[in-house]
Amino acid sequence: MKRVFITGMGVISAIGNTVTENHSALKNGVCGITMPPHSSPDLGRVPLAEVSLSNELLRERLQVFDPAVTRTTLLALHAFREAVQDAGLSGEEISSERTALIGGTTVGGMSQSDELYRDVSERYAASPFLSSYDCSSVFMFLQEQYRMKGVIDTINTACSSAGNAIGYGMRLIRSGLAGKAIVGGADSLSKFTISGFNALHILSPEICRPFDRNRQGLNLGEGAAFLVLEGEDEISADKKIYAEVRGYYNASDAFHPTSLSANGEGPYLAMQGALGTAGLRAGEVDFINAHGTATENNDESESRAMIRVFGEPPPFASTKSNTGHTLGAAAAVEAVYSLLSLENQEIYPGLHFSSVITGTELEPVTTYRRSPLRHIMSNSFGFGGNCVSLIFSKS
Amino acid sequence: MLYIHQAVAISPQETFPSFDLTRIYQPVDNKLEVREPSYEGIPRNLLRRMGKSVRMGIGASAPILRSTPRPVSGIVIGTGNGGTADSYSFLQQMKEYGEEMLTPGSFAQSTSNAMASQLSMMDQNKNYNLTHVHRGLAFEMALLDVSLLSLEDESAFYLLAGVDELSPSNYALDEMEGWYPPGIIAGEGAAAFLVSGQAQNALAAVKAVATLHSNDVEVVREQLENFLATHLPAGEGITCLVSGENGDTRMNDYYKACESLMSRGTAVLQFKRFCGEYPTASAFALWLAYHQLSEAESAGARNYLIYNTYKGRQHSFILLTGIVKDPVEMV
Amino acid sequence: MDKTELKQQLKEQVIQFLNLTSLKPAEIADNEPFFGEGLGLDSIDSLELIVLLNRMYGITIKDPKEGRKVLVDIETMADYIEKHRTK
Repeated sequence: MKRVFITGMGVISAIGNTVTENHSALKNGVCGITMPPHSSPDLGRVPLAEVSLSNELLRERLQVFDPAVTRTTLLALHAFREAVQDAGLSGEEISSERTALIGGTTVGGMSQSDELYRDVSERYAASPFLSSYDCSSVFMFLQEQYRMKGVIDTINTACSSAGNAIGYGMRLIRSGLAGKAIVGGADSLSKFTISGFNALHILSPEICRPFDRNRQGLNLGEGAAFLVLEGEDEISADKKIYAEVRGYYNASDAFHPTSLSANGEGPYLAMQGALGTAGLRAGEVDFINAHGTATENNDESESRAMIRVFGEPPPFASTKSNTGHTLGAAAAVEAVYSLLSLENQEIYPGLHFSSVITGTELEPVTTYRRSPLRHIMSNSFGFGGNCVSLIFSKS
Repeated sequence: MLYIHQAVAISPQETFPSFDLTRIYQPVDNKLEVREPSYEGIPRNLLRRMGKSVRMGIGASAPILRSTPRPVSGIVIGTGNGGTADSYSFLQQMKEYGEEMLTPGSFAQSTSNAMASQLSMMDQNKNYNLTHVHRGLAFEMALLDVSLLSLEDESAFYLLAGVDELSPSNYALDEMEGWYPPGIIAGEGAAAFLVSGQAQNALAAVKAVATLHSNDVEVVREQLENFLATHLPAGEGITCLVSGENGDTRMNDYYKACESLMSRGTAVLQFKRFCGEYPTASAFALWLAYHQLSEAESAGARNYLIYNTYKGRQHSFILLTGIVKDPVEMV
Repeated sequence: MDKTELKQQLKEQVIQFLNLTSLKPAEIADNEPFFGEGLGLDSIDSLELIVLLNRMYGITIKDPKEGRKVLVDIETMADYIEKHRTK
């Protein structure tokens, strides 16, 4: 089976606009989640993790002035550029028929929900966003910017979207339908999403506390991240390789539209499945980047699932205490963080934790340390019970 | 080869539960709306919460899932607009009631994967589950996905579906952008398929699928030429071109280019007369082609080419072939 | 409004909020449990009923868990409304 490697990455989040900035923030336990007021009154009164760059600044930096481009797309473009530059891809390689682009997003252009409402209800003076509201607008824009001729796809499976995008890119390369794949996700904060999560009563009024007994819910965040994947036969000898995409599995919890089953069946199956596809035993996983949204339901179910798979789970932490929950981008952002761990042989501290969940008693890593790491598992569990587990291995 | 074992379509025509295309229902006010079935067998408790696209998708998929002895190994859906209608409902609530104290139902339904996850819950299916949302290629991406899955595990069966509803909000946006001048019909529908990598008693199979993004007619022609050269066996031609032509004259050149590569004997079937225009209309095209192929009595190679363009920028080719039953087997 | 009228109105509102289109108010017994075996509602429905209490009767329940104690059946819900309604 053809091996697939990661040769480039890019990320933008509340804790940094580049890989380097994110890395430094992770090491130093920086929290990008802030209490209100936020950059816009539209963003309401809950804690959120905003990317520090405004749309105006993003446009300036990216030199993109097309009014139809939404914030989600701007964030995606920022991370995409960093990734392809990092991988040293030429314009020709990006646009090649053999290069796929697979992206995940849940918000798409719904960051412009006011405009959508006006466009539909008033119908006369159309906004520039008429074809920007859907999820695909983000990756259609990238395809057009870079004149990409390969397989282009948009995936929306809620919080696991980018994880499936990474998996799909890997499978395209393994099948021979692509030689390279640029894979990832993007999502931006929007009052539409904030109101929706609020209506589900899963937002925390405080900064979130993953895996803590007194957690009260999640904090929404925004961001984007991309990985450049290349098949082993296509990588030139001098290319820098971060790691191998060793395992990927997608399983369904099949329990409820917005919460996980008590014993974490979907997460359990996803983790077991990923180990199977990676050809690894549970004991060989050195660290888990957990989904860890800090909702009452997720963290307990996820803990139970980890115990079922590992008995005694390896060190783990959730980086959502740094970046908030970046939804469709989460699995890609967290993949970048897993790769940083592997590259630097270090584990970053999980934040805001003080006491274990009664019953499961699992404690995340809370202090920075250097550690020999070979295999890292990264998990993302979405609405609708869509559970994805990825395993990255040092090559 | 991806073999098709079953196909169900809920469409503006009489296609489910019984099939009769001798009487064609015409558009009303430039729109073709589906003839919704009674959705027997779907728990009322679940049905009540479903928006139209989820309902149609489940309606088309549930009979297939009920008929399989074991859970399918994957549920893969394509939807272009899935979620927009419910998103707009939620926005209306936000406008009317402010941003606190809102009912979460339409928000939960507005995630594009609501249908795929409902299916997994109804069927207690814990296997692979994916929703592709790449607009006019959402169904083709789902088709490609199951093709890859079937290569990875030839013995497994998968549910593949393409669904989109004609919601007032989507129609409004498309109309404002100029996609519905008078005469161009908007449509909707759900088509679901049971597929696998093994022939069993399948009557048709997808040989290949290709997609591209381009506004250049020459690029489309060249890509189709390569596609046919690569996948059509030597000496065989296209029996029928299932064409996505929808009356929009701006698309004429693409369809002309495609037709120029067909042979004289190729029949042309314009499928959007039956289902109207929507991002996953090619799912209906596949259903229609499958039906024609499975009912045809003639022996010999029968190749159907589905060519569709969505808004002139996304293009797809699907090559479907009829399976000729081995004479020895028939004894 | 007397209790019987309130219960009748409440049944109509529950049907409307939860889109229980196949049910008529007469088909919902006063003591039929909302969750579990009775009407078979789930946690999203309980959030919707909390909104119903707020919009129709001006009652605010902040914690969904508190809500579950009140949202047992029509009878219990009507009792609670009588005591706490501000509309």
